[in-house]
Amino acid sequence: GASGFAPSPQPGMAEAAGEAGLGPAAGREGAELAAVIGATVPTGFEQTAAEEVQEKLGSASRISRDRGKIYFEVPARSLPEVHRLRSVDNLFVVVQEFKDYQFKENKEDALKDLEDLVKKLSWSDPLKVWELNNSLKKKKTKRKKHNLQSPASREKLSDGGEEGGADQNNTNDQEDCAQTPVAVEATGGQDTENPQGVTSRNGVEEEEDNEQSGVKAEVQASSESGTKAGDDQTGEGEAKVLRFRVTCNRAGDKHSFTSNEAARDFGGAVQEHFQWKADMTNFDVEVLLNIHNNEVVVGIALTEESLHRRNITHFGPTTLRSTLAYGMLRLCDPQPTDIIVDPMCGTGAIPIEGAAEWPHCYHIAGDNNPQAVKRAANNICSLLRKNESKDSSTALGVPLDIIQWDICNLPLRTGSVDIVVTDMPFGKRIGSKKKNWDLYPACLMEMGRICTPGTGRAVLLTQDKKCFAKALSRVGHIWRRAQTVWVNVGGLHAAVYLLRRTWERAEERRSFW
Amino acid sequence: KLGHPSELPPEPVPDYEGDEEFLRRVHHVLLEVEVLEGSLQCPDSGRRFPISKGVPNMLLTEDEA
Repeated sequence: GASGFAPSPQPGMAEAAGEAGLGPAAGREGAELAAVIGATVPTGFEQTAAEEVQEKLGSASRISRDRGKIYFEVPARSLPEVHRLRSVDNLFVVVQEFKDYQFKENKEDALKDLEDLVKKLSWSDPLKVWELNNSLKKKKTKRKKHNLQSPASREKLSDGGEEGGADQNNTNDQEDCAQTPVAVEATGGQDTENPQGVTSRNGVEEEEDNEQSGVKAEVQASSESGTKAGDDQTGEGEAKVLRFRVTCNRAGDKHSFTSNEAARDFGGAVQEHFQWKADMTNFDVEVLLNIHNNEVVVGIALTEESLHRRNITHFGPTTLRSTLAYGMLRLCDPQPTDIIVDPMCGTGAIPIEGAAEWPHCYHIAGDNNPQAVKRAANNICSLLRKNESKDSSTALGVPLDIIQWDICNLPLRTGSVDIVVTDMPFGKRIGSKKKNWDLYPACLMEMGRICTPGTGRAVLLTQDKKCFAKALSRVGHIWRRAQTVWVNVGGLHAAVYLLRRTWERAEERRSFW
Repeated sequence: KLGHPSELPPEPVPDYEGDEEFLRRVHHVLLEVEVLEGSLQCPDSGRRFPISKGVPNMLLTEDEA
């Protein structure tokens, strides 16, 4: 069935739904609405995310073979808690999952099957979850980036967010990603075979987009809230025509079609079934069609891709995603009163995440670069200001300090730190004039010195796995490799190493401190 | 030497874990007082490390390293 849940009757659910401004939220016959949620997480941290879900929502997760995704079931009223999960990047509600979908070998047949699928799916409960999710979003005064930019840059935004993966892979057709074109009716004759199809299609559509967005701009100007077209009419549900797009991610070498084609045809069937309007950039509903070999998942997005996907523009090109920072911290299992140090903190992504989620630990951040220290200090101030606004009296302090220091000469006592967690730099010089090749062992030695023998641990992210492995072999007497997580950082293959500090005490080599 | 009226003794008192008044004062100094401008002084060498805008600079000079 659409979702394999066992609904339990919940009195009062209808009233709660009424408050949210919706119709009855009951799934069927008075049962409570449940949602099967799919979450994208940093690849390699699926288990970590599953643990967080168990801890905070009490639900068990299934980890998909399609990497970077987990699935779990929760009552729809838990959506606010779901959004507060720290290890997930994006969320969607599952319409239906097929564990072993048999694709027809012939392209036309395979695509026809996908089209026919649309009317067979149970959309109504997932759409209720989507509506509920919308009402949650409206409560926050979130600035919707899409609407505040010109059509040209809006294209660019979704280009950067969505098509990045497609550019790399279209040539061998292993994996690609595409969305339904704006004007579904007009695509009948369009050439979709060429590898540049994705980018050229966007080029073609820009003109059509401009026409539509001209009209939309007027609608937005007149609406007070300034949110997406149609948002202000959510209460009237039925009368309004929804705008949608289909995003298809396809991976596998046995499919006879591309993601472009699947998105196009699936989208066409969706349009016909619901009589919605296809719109690439200003959509209300984003339908997801994820195909990974024989695993097919149809879903509806609950978060906006462009907001979460690549945080590279927020602080700087090397800032770590907070979901990855969270995953790294969880890996070292911080205990209350643990001292956690990030000796190369950059703009402070890790210690800030640490102080927010593990306030019973003490976090110390440091870097030798004055710009980084300044930015990190600013980010900490923002965190403090956030705490201030909630409480009218004195602001709660944050157990986090920042210091400007040299990774090779840390002003910390030997054996005084429980956890070292950091993003190791790659291709950058640090403080002293040594090269990375010498730097890594020096860092590991100094981190080994400050870390408590036996119970201490380190979680280190690096892209230079070769250099790291070499360095680690030189410090085997103080660090033991406990676990390796293969991750993807901005398209590059990196690794997170969990190391355990041996019982051997470090020599007091530094007489200065 | 914070110049702050916290009245901490120079050494932790024996059985400080049970002394709530002492613990409160330590907590206050550690987590609720922020030095914005000033310096940290090494008790052995006397070398001062400046603190500016709440951030201490503990980089060593070429000679010291």
